[in-house]
Amino acid sequence: MLSTGLVYAIIGAAAAVLFAGIGSAIGVGLVGQAAAGVVAEDPDKFGSTLLLQALPGTQGIYGMLTGFLIIWRIGLIGGNVIDLTLQQGLSVLFAAMPIAFGGLLSAIMQGRAAASGVYMIAKRPEEVGKAIVYAVMVETYAVLALLMSIITLFYIPL
Amino acid sequence: MPNSDRYLYAVGRISVMETRLVDSSKIERMVEAKDAEEALKVLAETEYAGHMADLGSVYEYEKILEAELRRVYLEVRKMMPSPEIISLFARKFDYHNLKVLIKAKYLQENRNELLVKDVGNIDLDVLMRAVSDEDFSDLPPLMREAAEEITEAFRLEVDPQLVDLRLDQAMYAEIFADLKALKIPFLTGYFTRFTDLTNIKTLLRIKRLGLDRRFLAQALLPAGEIEAERLLEQLDEPLELILDGLAHGPYAKVVEDGILTYQKTDTLTRYEKLADDYLIDYIKQAKHNKFGPEPIVGYLLAKENEIKIIRIIMVGKINQLPVEEIKERLRDVYV
Repeated sequence: MLSTGLVYAIIGAAAAVLFAGIGSAIGVGLVGQAAAGVVAEDPDKFGSTLLLQALPGTQGIYGMLTGFLIIWRIGLIGGNVIDLTLQQGLSVLFAAMPIAFGGLLSAIMQGRAAASGVYMIAKRPEEVGKAIVYAVMVETYAVLALLMSIITLFYIPL
Repeated sequence: MPNSDRYLYAVGRISVMETRLVDSSKIERMVEAKDAEEALKVLAETEYAGHMADLGSVYEYEKILEAELRRVYLEVRKMMPSPEIISLFARKFDYHNLKVLIKAKYLQENRNELLVKDVGNIDLDVLMRAVSDEDFSDLPPLMREAAEEITEAFRLEVDPQLVDLRLDQAMYAEIFADLKALKIPFLTGYFTRFTDLTNIKTLLRIKRLGLDRRFLAQALLPAGEIEAERLLEQLDEPLELILDGLAHGPYAKVVEDGILTYQKTDTLTRYEKLADDYLIDYIKQAKHNKFGPEPIVGYLLAKENEIKIIRIIMVGKINQLPVEEIKERLRDVYV
């Protein structure tokens, strides 16, 4: 029998992967459409646009990392499942929220910034570095969210 | 998710296509070219080259421009996720065709070479059939209404001017009705500015010709920001007063410089150039919204502007106008 606390912890793991993953899927999709348009007219731009397209993908990885950390800490991996109290379970769930929603929104916004970058290098291929920097700026907030989620998860007493 | 991602692919393609627009240095070289032939050589370095293969002489430059306009419309229409936006701009071809057909029928002049195929919204055959059978029921309501009125009026008296005026009014009424449904401020803004600037020009022309208010009312396009009544009232006022009335509006710069030059030189060339530049300046803001249809429209209009510029240069070169005179007429470029 799973304790209620454990159920909340698993919901947290799922939410981290789910929302950050949705964000990345949308973000990468946005850039992909913009890039396809550019490459249709100018196939040489494939390499640099691919680089930009990959950027909003990181949030999904961060979500996955957080989810993995949760199921490791509650002992789902390894077989020694910890019997979490309700308080512990809820703490784990909320510890997952920064990357779940920070990841969701930052991936979409990063997708938009990267799509604009794709348009920019359509006109100025030599400025690909700047286009990447603009998109990477958004990454800061995904990293901050990930950091908060991970640190909290490490130190929640279970 | 907002459906702003509908245009991503198309805008991606447009971003690359914009880089192929004829830039100001090539325009400059065309203007400075010693004759029409040399100007065309500069054009051969651009994407117009594709249409120049079987060109008989420089006098056929119009063929190149036509082919390019057709190519751009077909291309953009194909990639545009909301073709009704392109239809707004393609409507002028339908109305042009209808004008040519009606005039051909009643004035017995065969000008089939003026008809534009493929780029309009309405199949040319449908228009031809409608005019020859005098049955306009297959046409859109406002076009139909105008065409029926014209045919009715022609039973009494054939007046070719009526065709132009009445159909232009119907076209803009139709465009503004569509704009209301589309709810894209950028497009409404463009057409409002366009009709206003055109109406001011019409006012000046008709004033010069000494025609009356009834005629002006027929010639004004509907739905600009400046009300028709205001323009009608100004018909009998001296030029200075007209200028004063408009000098505080959004078109101050165009109107001031344009009308002052008109007073001095008696031509509207300067006004027309300034009005076009004003519109190009307006559509340049399309470049800032990368997630809507604006850049696609911007490209289409930039291309039309470019074709206009090339036409001005070629006409100038063929008529051996001095470089300075051509430059005076040249419009700004989009890029």
